[in-house]
This record gives sequence, C-alpha cells and structure tokens, in this order.
Amino acid sequence: MALYDMSRTAMTSDLPLTEPVLLILLSLAGQPQHGYSILKDVERMSNGRVVLSTGTLYGAIRRLLDDDWIERFDEEDASRGRQAYRLTQQGRRNLQLEIDRMKHITRLASLRVALKER
Amino acid sequence: MLAIYRQLLRLYPPAYRQQFADEMLAVFLDIRADIAKKRFFAQTVCVVREILGLIGGACGEHLRCFLGPDSGFPLRGRSFVMRNGFRFPNTTAVLMVLILCGVAVAIKKGEEIAMSLPHVNPGVEPIHLVHSALLPPVVLLLIVFYAAGLVGWTILFALRRSGVHRLAQLSGEQK
Repeated sequence: MALYDMSRTAMTSDLPLTEPVLLILLSLAGQPQHGYSILKDVERMSNGRVVLSTGTLYGAIRRLLDDDWIERFDEEDASRGRQAYRLTQQGRRNLQLEIDRMKHITRLASLRVALKER
Repeated sequence: MLAIYRQLLRLYPPAYRQQFADEMLAVFLDIRADIAKKRFFAQTVCVVREILGLIGGACGEHLRCFLGPDSGFPLRGRSFVMRNGFRFPNTTAVLMVLILCGVAVAIKKGEEIAMSLPHVNPGVEPIHLVHSALLPPVVLLLIVFYAAGLVGWTILFALRRSGVHRLAQLSGEQK
C-alpha cells in the first residue's frame, strides 16, 4: 500500500511551501485574520522562531492573492488599513496537500529511523 | 521612525503601494505600539527587521514587475524538491558571463599597461590595436556557444515534451 498518493502533488507545482507561507496559510485556516493578527499568530505558532516583517508578510499576501489562494474578507467593523483575509477553496486544498506531504515524510522518517534502531 | 517607514514604502512600485501601503502602515503602527513596552535591544531588532523587510520586499516587487508574475516572493521552498532534469543551464550561463567579463577586464588592463609604457620603438604599434582585434572574435565565439547551447536545450526540451523518452521506456519494457 502506498503511504502517500504522489499523483496528487501534480495538482500544484508550488509544493513544498516555504515556512512563512505555510504558517500564514495555517493562520488563516481557522478564521479570517488581518495583517497584524497573522504576524502575531505566525510568531506564536513557531514559538517565536519565525517573526515576519510587514514587508515579508505583504509580499506573501500579494503573491497568495495573485495565485488565488487567499481572498479579501470584508468585516463589518473594519477600520481603514485593517483588511482581513481568508483562505479560498484552492488555498485550503493546497494547504491540505502540503499537510499530507509532510505527514508522509514524517511517517516515512519514523519508519526508517525505527528500522535503523533495531 | 514612522517618517522613515513612509519613505521606505515609496520604494515599492506605485500599483503595490496603492493596494497595500495603508494596510502595511496600520500593521506597522500596531507593531510599534507593541514594541514600545519592550527593551531597547528588542526595539532595535524589530526596527532593523522592518527596514530590511521593506527594502527586500520592494526589490522583490520591482523584480516581479521586471521578470514577470512568477518571480518576487516565493511560495515554494527549496527543500525536498524533485528537480526536472531538463532545465536551462543557469550556472553555465552565469559562468560564461563571468568569463566574458574577466576577459574584457584583462584586455582593458593590458591596454592601460600598454598605454603607460614608453614607445621607444616607433616601428611597433601600440597594444590597444590588439584589443580591437581580439575582443570581437571572443564575443562572437561566446555568442556562438550560447546559441548552440540554446538550440541544444530547446531540442532536448521539445523531445521531452513530445514524450519520445516514454516510448523508448515502453519499448524497453516490452523486450
């Protein structure tokens, strides 16, 4: 039995994702968030290891918007400059593919390391 | 700091600024309020990170405008990537350009040395004439190499796209 359906990765040529992009997508996976919330969430998720600057964050957001992975989300109480973003269906699908890919690698690594230790 | 941030935002292309400048400024104001309670060192690190992020981001956006939508901020990481065997030989192209630059610099230096030497023998022509005779063939040679490499790469790429290699694999399996 195959551990991981490799043919699914052919659906997107953008995998594997960079760590900042993966964390941004994970941040948006739960609910729509605006820029500052994403920054803090990314920092929290990575235990302070990944701290994005606004330049890096909005470079990634621009690219994700262009590729239709995320979209703008209009909040009712949004003030000027506080634009929220959320994942699109395509973004969610690609995130799931990346998670599956990582699961496959960690499972494979665990198996190989366990075999070596015997 | 806010004034510097505003100035650095002007490094971005106008279209990008129009779309994101207000948001980036609002996020930066939140960050600034957040780091105000922190120590001086943490504040300095944050400011440096923001400045470098803006400069890097602006360069990336200009690069994207210049090279196309796939350049700029990368979504894809470099780790664990299965590379296609049929790629344009970027390293070779860079090396050839470096060699060309090296040859041009060496010729220029030689010319300068030749000009600085006293010409005691009136029968000998100055060396800079050699420069004009040597450079065009070298450039021509490199252009021919580039063209040959490009044609070869295009043929290989076209064969790959046509699926000929798969037919060869199939016939091998049938045997």
